Amino acid sequence: MIDVKNVYKTFEEQPILCGINCHIRPGERVVIIGPSGSGKSTLLRCMNLMVTPDRGEIYMDGKLISPVDPTLHNGLTRNGKPDRRAIRNYEKDNRLDINLARQDMGMVFQHFNLFNNLTVLENLMLAPVQLKLMTKEEARAKAVELLERIGLADKADVYPSTLSGGQKQRIAIIRALAMNPKVMLFDEPTSALDPEMVGEVLDLMKELADDGMTMVIVTHEMGFAREIADRVLFVCDGVVKEEAPPEEFFSNPKDPRLVQFLQKVL
Amino acid sequence: MNAWQIFYRQLVELEGYKNILVGLQNTALIAVFGLLIGLVIGCLLAVCKIIPRNGWITKLLSAVTDVYVAVFRGTPMVVQLLLIHYVIFPALGLHIPILTEAILAFGLNSGAYVSEIMRGGILSVDAGQTEAGRALGLNYGQTMLKIVLPQAIKNVVPTLGNEFIALLKETSVVSFITVVDITKSLQNIANSTYEYIIPYIVLALIYLVLVLAVTGIIKLIERRLRASDRR
Repeated sequence: MIDVKNVYKTFEEQPILCGINCHIRPGERVVIIGPSGSGKSTLLRCMNLMVTPDRGEIYMDGKLISPVDPTLHNGLTRNGKPDRRAIRNYEKDNRLDINLARQDMGMVFQHFNLFNNLTVLENLMLAPVQLKLMTKEEARAKAVELLERIGLADKADVYPSTLSGGQKQRIAIIRALAMNPKVMLFDEPTSALDPEMVGEVLDLMKELADDGMTMVIVTHEMGFAREIADRVLFVCDGVVKEEAPPEEFFSNPKDPRLVQFLQKVL
Repeated sequence: MNAWQIFYRQLVELEGYKNILVGLQNTALIAVFGLLIGLVIGCLLAVCKIIPRNGWITKLLSAVTDVYVAVFRGTPMVVQLLLIHYVIFPALGLHIPILTEAILAFGLNSGAYVSEIMRGGILSVDAGQTEAGRALGLNYGQTMLKIVLPQAIKNVVPTLGNEFIALLKETSVVSFITVVDITKSLQNIANSTYEYIIPYIVLALIYLVLVLAVTGIIKLIERRLRASDRR
């Protein structure tokens, strides 16, 4: 479903991703963990191109969504230099517009990022209506249905500033769901929450997982990772150091950095 | 007759108040529509300036904005008014009412100032708002229009109010291109009676009342816009 191929990213001369590869299969729940500054958030944000890789490519459902990296293809370089025309032709045939791709990729942020100038209902309806995926009535019905599902139907007409962190994050999640995405990306969804509100957000995420949603989750909640993940990735120094199903990952880690990391956090 | 009687006679018996009302109307029209035009131009320029400069088009837009702001902030309003009325419009062969000319001139001028105000306003909106919009699949323009600009405008209402007050007072120079505004109408009374004290004090009071009224309106707008901040 999502393919990350040999991605490099440098921020202010600080290498963050160093040739990272990973593949997310449909229906899979992948949890990404790693020390802070390891590049796990950047990896996630590359998947929907919120961050554009310096090198390497991102694919969504087999379609290229990032710029072409000519070094990954035969016939796109000439004498070792990028062949502009060949690249343009290749993009024409294989590249998917990023705005279209993002309609299928919901994203949930650490700081919720609900639209402050809109009510809860308007937050949920904005994108489906603006992008002409639904009529206003359809979007409203969908929004109300989602709000009822998380028990916040009474908050439809309030502004985000009146909500608690847990409520904001759950609404941010259903705002992404209102687009009927194929995959959901979670960027540390519980890190900015008060401890007592973490549970309600994780419960909603579990519900999503049970419904069979494809999910990629960057988190520090190890218990949650163990419970929900089909596969856990350990990202460190800009590469995937280890990946395994959760039982094996947590009980029998092999990479020395991972052993060290788990000792500290568990 | 004392000065009061002279003024009263000119105002009421000789129907000078009609001129004053026309002048008041012109002042209001120029200030309000000038600001509206300034807002539109200012928002466009601010976005041109803030858009990520990754292609030659966006670089060009940014450069054009810089030149625009430099020209309109770097020359006096009166000079711009005179240039537009006596040089630019005649050269273009345009014949439009002088009031419209004045509104355009003040709108263009105000756009330069508003663009800098709006730029600050846009930068004051959390980057997460843009990210959330883009992540949902909205394009840059939709995100700006529906999410960022409404919040930016709310943040800069007090500063925009300041700009409007400055604009309102600066309209007093439009008589340079023969538009009769509130200043000109009272000047006419003063000149025809050779009694200057009362007309000019009244003129000052009228501006003061106008500005106080505008201040009140801005406060009201601020309070309404803050509805989404209330806990």
